Amino acid sequence: MADAPDQVSITLDGRVVEVPRGALLIAAAIEAGTYIPHFCWHPRMKPVGMCRMCLVEIDTPRGKMLTTSCTTPVADGMVVETSSPVVKKAQEGVIEFLLINHPLDCPVCDKGGECPLQDQTLAYGPGDGRFVEEKRHYPKPIPISDLVALDRERCILCARCTRFSEEISGDPLIEFVDRGNHVEVNTFPNHPFTSYFSGNTVQICPVGALTARPYRFRARPWDLEAVEAVSTVDSVHSKVSLEASMNEIVRISGVDCDPTNQGWLSDKDRFVYEHLLADDRVVVPLIANGDGFREASWGEAVGLAASRLADLGGAVAGLGGARSTNEDAYVFSRFLRGVVGTPHLDAQLDDGLAPEFAAAVEPRALIDDLDDADAILLWGPDLKEELPVLYLRVRKAATAGAKLVVVHPRRTGLDDVAAHTIRYRPGEGPALLRRLAAGEGDLAEARDALGAGKVVALVGRPGLAEPAELAEAVAAFALTLDDARILPLVRRGNVFGALDMGLAPTLLPGRVSVDDAERRRALAARWGSLPDGVGMGATDILEAAASGRIGALVLLGVDPVRDHPRPDLARRALERAFVVALDLFVTDSTRHADVVLPVAGLGEIQGTVTNLEGRVQKLNRVVPPPGQARPAWSILDDLAAALGSELEADAVEKIFEELATLAPAYEGLTWDRFDWAEGRDGVVVPLEGVTPPLRHVPSDPGLAVVSERPALHLARVLYDDGVLVRHCPSLASLAPEAAAHLHPRDASVLAVREGDRVRLEGVGVVELPVVLDPTLAEGTVYVPFNLAETAALGAVPSVRIDVVREAGS
Amino acid sequence: MSSPIAHWDPEYQRRAATIVERYPDVRSAVMPLLYLASLHHGHVTEEAMEEVAALTGLTAAQVQSVASFYTMYKRERVGRYLVSVCTSISCFLRGADEVLAAVEGATGVVDGETDDEGLFTVEHVECIGACGGAPALQVNYEFVEGVTPAKAAELCRWLRDARPEVVLGDEMQLLFGGRPSFDPGAPEPEGAIAPVPAFGPYGSARPGTGGGR
Ligand code: SF4
Ligand code: FES
Ligand code: FES
Repeated sequence: MADAPDQVSITLDGRVVEVPRGALLIAAAIEAGTYIPHFCWHPRMKPVGMCRMCLVEIDTPRGKMLTTSCTTPVADGMVVETSSPVVKKAQEGVIEFLLINHPLDCPVCDKGGECPLQDQTLAYGPGDGRFVEEKRHYPKPIPISDLVALDRERCILCARCTRFSEEISGDPLIEFVDRGNHVEVNTFPNHPFTSYFSGNTVQICPVGALTARPYRFRARPWDLEAVEAVSTVDSVHSKVSLEASMNEIVRISGVDCDPTNQGWLSDKDRFVYEHLLADDRVVVPLIANGDGFREASWGEAVGLAASRLADLGGAVAGLGGARSTNEDAYVFSRFLRGVVGTPHLDAQLDDGLAPEFAAAVEPRALIDDLDDADAILLWGPDLKEELPVLYLRVRKAATAGAKLVVVHPRRTGLDDVAAHTIRYRPGEGPALLRRLAAGEGDLAEARDALGAGKVVALVGRPGLAEPAELAEAVAAFALTLDDARILPLVRRGNVFGALDMGLAPTLLPGRVSVDDAERRRALAARWGSLPDGVGMGATDILEAAASGRIGALVLLGVDPVRDHPRPDLARRALERAFVVALDLFVTDSTRHADVVLPVAGLGEIQGTVTNLEGRVQKLNRVVPPPGQARPAWSILDDLAAALGSELEADAVEKIFEELATLAPAYEGLTWDRFDWAEGRDGVVVPLEGVTPPLRHVPSDPGLAVVSERPALHLARVLYDDGVLVRHCPSLASLAPEAAAHLHPRDASVLAVREGDRVRLEGVGVVELPVVLDPTLAEGTVYVPFNLAETAALGAVPSVRIDVVREAGS
Repeated sequence: MSSPIAHWDPEYQRRAATIVERYPDVRSAVMPLLYLASLHHGHVTEEAMEEVAALTGLTAAQVQSVASFYTMYKRERVGRYLVSVCTSISCFLRGADEVLAAVEGATGVVDGETDDEGLFTVEHVECIGACGGAPALQVNYEFVEGVTPAKAAELCRWLRDARPEVVLGDEMQLLFGGRPSFDPGAPEPEGAIAPVPAFGPYGSARPGTGGGR
């Protein structure tokens, strides 16, 4: 019998193996190297015993018994047969049954070639069936959402899709209907499967019943070339495989990475590849010409950019890098500081958190800390909208028993699993925080929930109109609890990597403060020189550019006109300055550029990225960049050369090696560490025993309270009018309707009804229809950020509301 | 927010409220609420399922899944008289097909349908537990056993002409039924101490006395 207390020993086809106590037999057997065929069982979901494919024989006091291994936990001394004649006969019977109604249309099925039903029929099936009667027929396929099509004839009723929707994503819009021979999977009439996670059901469907409409008939699985990478749609960095056919990425699948996404993706992660193939992608260098651009050679474009930057001396600033790889960001940082000689650079647009806080908060939580947390405090964005895969992880932890406290101005996707939901009017956060910390009145229970055991505090800006300092104050409160860790929340792709590479006025590469003299010397020795002092952040840079004090801006994959809280300021700055933009598209910002240089995107370059918990992972290349697009680091290397400097950036491995030497938090990493063994799940930096980088302990800053005017809750939605979504045809149509959401009581004070129009005045003026939202804090207007109709509003603490009255009414 | 069933009859709203209160996990209320909603709407309409979803916090798809599993939640319009003819094995052997045909003929409604007037719905059903009195049928779930095709047709014509407000099994059985499965007799059988347990010892034997079987 087993020695270790958490192990038991079982006999598997005559072989004695040690397996974890309490494990399901199917999981234990597969782990021990004995495959058991299955359809309905999925290692990340609860078993249901629905398909009967996993039958095995077990010795019981009453003799051998056939049982489903997916619902049977192992027991010490269990004797199991997985391929006895009885088991084989049972497997053949199950396959024969499953195929009774199956259309066998593999030649025209997307799943063909990677289909568990096809594979297991070949391996375990009887080779023939006795059913000669007419099969079930349904119209095929029917769209059940904009992204997913359903072919009910192929469905084997395994309930993977329905369980995913209920158990994992919490939006059971797809369910079984009817019973007996008539059971089918379907949605409710006119309630499409609009889950943000619908693509996962396509991936886990063991047959071709659920297919992704953007991928249908695009490729055969055996023609796909795949590499591992992570999704850079947001800062969770879910592990994916990028799959290409004929040099085009045609599919992204989720890869099970235990510490991050556990196999799941949001639909935005999954379908974002479409932007790479957009017709209007910039694929040759462009030079401004009248109102538009003309195509130019690399030599001409780089020459023009370099000569203007040289003329301006140090009156140059850089913005962006938060959507690039660490290597691009590092080279950008070195280019700006070491070559151009400017201290003015920022990866964020005053839409995130303070750089030291985001990059170096201590103690920082891992996503995995959620799983054994006793309580989770979420005071930040609606995770379902901003960091959907993190939403899944929090949901999992809360469902498993962690007490979740959600503080937000309106209902969030996690409210249904929260132990406490607290609403507040934006601007009144500081007062609420003081009351929460003191456990006053109705907040006593929530405060108690946070008082016991391990706490993970997820902190960020609930909306863009709220100050970044609020997050730091919440973190400071969390640190007064016994055992709390902080996970800072900022959405943009590789923003944490960019900060780690020193793309902030106050930071040098490797989570080092700009006034760390010793590190400055080390960097200056390698880079040649380093500008003195703390530079300007994004807003100051834009102001300086708008007033002419900064003569040129270098933009790296950044769209300030859409993303900065003051779109008007961004526009004036870009109009006035000489602008060099490295981008995939001509955006609302880069349209003001003097030179646009085409960069390579996801799957077209290699590089590393760093997620919100500090996990460094690698992106691999599966397709060549289109046209003349190139990696940003190589473009910056050319620009530096034209300015008479040497960046030594000629291969991505070399850049990584350089940054791992010069950036303390990255010390000890090697380029090929990410390819094998546990490094495949990424490496959390800093490693133990390296030069200690900056450790930022949150402090409680003084915060002002807003005025009497209606507070603005300006929050991101998953599908916005940002540059990525706009260039993905399948996603662009999913953006929600732009509206001004009001609490019914506020609406009645204004005498407006749902659908009436109001004019909101922030930085700019927008006119929107009213939607009533009883979950919104009173005295607040909620407006989705960065939709075409809301982009001009800007992020201001409060707005002026005027009702638009129709003439004559 | 206004209640999803604000337009219901106040009495039904009150009953819905008691049902919702009765279950600590409000999801458990889905079945009685579906029943109530079908009383309000006449059958389980899409609107009814959406209302029940709103009352229980489930999605409409989940409510539909429950409603469609049970055949007695009618998702189509049902006539004033629902005639359910059992066609399972005992009734089938005793001529259920002919009974069904007679019912179809007398009502002019084919199996599974409802007439335009909304008077009759005819359906065939699985065993209704009256095998001893086969062939059996139900009108609005009230039993009539031991029917013949002719009697069944007569029953339907009577329903059409008399249009009773309520249908009662006993009355229909007397008028149109044959031999029922058993005679329930007096409600309290005299001399019985307690219901005879189905399994386990009975008679004078008591567990532990050694006299059991
Ligand atoms: S659609 Fe696919 S995943 Fe859903 S029940 Fe059918 S076979 Fe299973
Ligand atoms: S895998 Fe066990 S019953 Fe389906
Ligand atoms: S078979 Fe008709 S009642 Fe049982």
